[in-house]
Amino acid sequence: MKKKLKTLAMILAGGRVDDLTVLTFHRPKSAVPFGGFSRVIDFPLSNLMNSGLERVAILSQYRSYSLINHIGIGAAWDMIGRNRGISILPPYLGYGQSQWYRGSSDAVYQNLDFVRFLDPDELLILSGDHVYRMDYRQLLSYHREKDADLTMVCIRVPTTEAHRFGLADIDDEDGEVGGRVVRYREKPKKPEYNWASLTVFCFKPDVLYQTLEDNIREDVSYEFGRDIIPRMMKDKRRIYGLKFRGYWGYTSTINEYWQTNMDLLGPAPAIPFAEWNIRTNLEHRGIGDCQPLKIGNNARVTDSLIYNGCTVEGEVEHSILFPGVRVEKGARVKDSVLFFNNVVGRDSVLDRVVSDVNTAFGREVRIGVEGEPVIKYPVVVGWNNTIAPGTVIGSGCTVYPCLSTATMPKQAGTDEVIR
Amino acid sequence: MNSPEDTLVLLLAGGVGSRLNVLVKARAKPAVPFAGLYRIIDFSLSNVMNSGMKHVGVLTQYKPQSLMRHLGTGEAWDFTGRSRGVKILPPSTGYKDSDWYRGTADAIRQNMSFVHSHPSEEIVILSGDHIYQMDLYDMIDFHRARKADITIGMMVVPESQIHQFGAGITDSSGRIVEWEEKPQVPRTNLASMGIYVFNYKYLMKLLAEDREIVDFGMHLVPKALARDNVYAYPFEGYWRDVGTIQAYWEANMDLLEDDPLISPEAWGIRPNLESEQLLADRIPARFAAGSRVKRSMISAGCVIEGEVVNSILSPGVRVGPGCRVQDSIILHDCFIEEGAVVDLAILDKKVRVGREAIVGRGDRKGISNSQFPDHLYTGISLVGKEATIPAGTHVGRNCIVNPWCQPQDFKDTSLQDGETI
Repeated sequence: MKKKLKTLAMILAGGRVDDLTVLTFHRPKSAVPFGGFSRVIDFPLSNLMNSGLERVAILSQYRSYSLINHIGIGAAWDMIGRNRGISILPPYLGYGQSQWYRGSSDAVYQNLDFVRFLDPDELLILSGDHVYRMDYRQLLSYHREKDADLTMVCIRVPTTEAHRFGLADIDDEDGEVGGRVVRYREKPKKPEYNWASLTVFCFKPDVLYQTLEDNIREDVSYEFGRDIIPRMMKDKRRIYGLKFRGYWGYTSTINEYWQTNMDLLGPAPAIPFAEWNIRTNLEHRGIGDCQPLKIGNNARVTDSLIYNGCTVEGEVEHSILFPGVRVEKGARVKDSVLFFNNVVGRDSVLDRVVSDVNTAFGREVRIGVEGEPVIKYPVVVGWNNTIAPGTVIGSGCTVYPCLSTATMPKQAGTDEVIR
Repeated sequence: MNSPEDTLVLLLAGGVGSRLNVLVKARAKPAVPFAGLYRIIDFSLSNVMNSGMKHVGVLTQYKPQSLMRHLGTGEAWDFTGRSRGVKILPPSTGYKDSDWYRGTADAIRQNMSFVHSHPSEEIVILSGDHIYQMDLYDMIDFHRARKADITIGMMVVPESQIHQFGAGITDSSGRIVEWEEKPQVPRTNLASMGIYVFNYKYLMKLLAEDREIVDFGMHLVPKALARDNVYAYPFEGYWRDVGTIQAYWEANMDLLEDDPLISPEAWGIRPNLESEQLLADRIPARFAAGSRVKRSMISAGCVIEGEVVNSILSPGVRVGPGCRVQDSIILHDCFIEEGAVVDLAILDKKVRVGREAIVGRGDRKGISNSQFPDHLYTGISLVGKEATIPAGTHVGRNCIVNPWCQPQDFKDTSLQDGETI
């Protein structure tokens, strides 16, 4: 007799994000590398694994290749077996009108066949692009205890920032733990309450099915925050909010992404990385084939996270190096995040740089050093670039991927876009 | 003719390796960790994998549990699937009482049913004890080109070492014309690496015919030399039998050279990431502000707050503030507490070195270990698995601290050179 599935988790893998520029040109937001060896989607996936929830679907649309490669068969998160598994659900051509996912709720709606087939007791819907640690069992048990139609996890945000979020007014029904959502507004200009929705939802399936039908039929936009929750509020559904107090890392802009990475460093990092039990697919990009990090005779490494497969002969300070990075003699890397296989040439300086995969910095380049901007934004360098020796690029610049050395200028000031 | 990739491979992983002392107290020699992430057997297994072979029998004998756990399903080296497989072949009692493997040939003979179920043109036999990279496909090609019955992988070694090996003299075509096992007086410097390619049918016949043949080098090769085609496959490159503490330490240290002759990553050596070291669960190595690391290899999951020089750290090692680790090999999950010093030592897994303790104190590296003078005589001290060195203790040179030693086992606050606990 087949065991009935209690909880199905669906992860919204996200797409291209304008503000993440070159980092999402070739991969969805959730597949962006993070933390020296993992990807952003590893956080919800590992949370699911650690919560014992092993039936997962990933709603993916944009440039799925990187994501599909990363997920593999789901073995990295132990999600293989008779009743376990990760299914990637891209949009597909159907019999009737078929289209790309027009929004997060439309993505779920178009896959209701899949959901109904599995017939779960609860449907967990998660964003794939946040950095956090959560045991979803707490959410599930609160949801069941309250017999809720929807339970959303929320975090307090400063009033100055609140207008950027979907906000819930949660009453004190369960004090510190959570309460009934009595009001909800999506990105209000004048916020009156400040529990922000984290896009971690637990739905009663039947209620969601109904709401989705109404949404698709009557609305013109199809997003959970903008459309589904307000609808359910209007329909007077039982909506509860769970109050989350842990670390929550955003990755929606280059600066935010960089800052969240930096939260891994320092004497008392905001993210206790080793305790979160984050797992990645070590087969992706051959991470598993790397030998230990090799540190040379004249190297200096301080306040940094460096994975296997790297070679450091220069200086690395307050930075994160992914597998395969090589920092040559005399080079100095500071406040930077360097993705797989970057090479930093002799005597060059990288200061606050996020560099995508396979980029080679020639000798004596100076990236992110020049200029004294009011706010020093990271330089972001797209993948597969070769930066000619001696090139100078000021802070805050964006370098497009795969440029030929002919197109790249020898010098660029602050906040320029090089393409 | 079948592709060389269908060749059956038998990996002899039964070695005791007793001269590795505490490192082989609880595990077989091929299971000894090496170069931070690996185990010695990973080199042979990866060579087999990279050469394309898919059918491997691993013959175990001594303390095989560690090895069996490490091998798992064989997935780490791609030995899973419909047409692939790695099988553990421990000794089992037969009709007679003493059926432990008495030698290389005997081990094969005792696994005849396994061998018979995997018929192939050739059989490759190698050990799991050595550090090297080799393309076995190429060796089989060579064997076929020469129409050999036996091909032995051989390499040039310094004359001073030849007495440790099977030694051969070849003619201009590579045919072995003379052979001596562990010669006292060297007449050649061509040594056997213990890697054999046999014609399948030929080997089966030989083993069935003559039940006196127990060891390849000692019995089989000398006999075959006269009447059959026995060739030497010339190997050039880095190859080490890390059978002594000194050799083990030196081979590890070879990784730290500027232009190292040994490179596991370049060689395609694969560790088992899902084994109980949980390599797969390690985050990047963390270097605290104020840490100083030079000329070392540091695995993921390490946390370094102090100083590490000329050393190799396996995953999960914690080096506290004010510590100094030098010229040492530190295996998984050791914890070196604040202010401690580890100098010219090998620490097995999960060793705890208490605050301000010193492992490897003093200059008298020439005083051999009293219990095992032929194991430790160059100054290296050993600390066995899960031992705890109490705070403030001084351990001298060539000392041995046995596995699982606890603070109460230490009678004094210091261990003199050559002492053992």
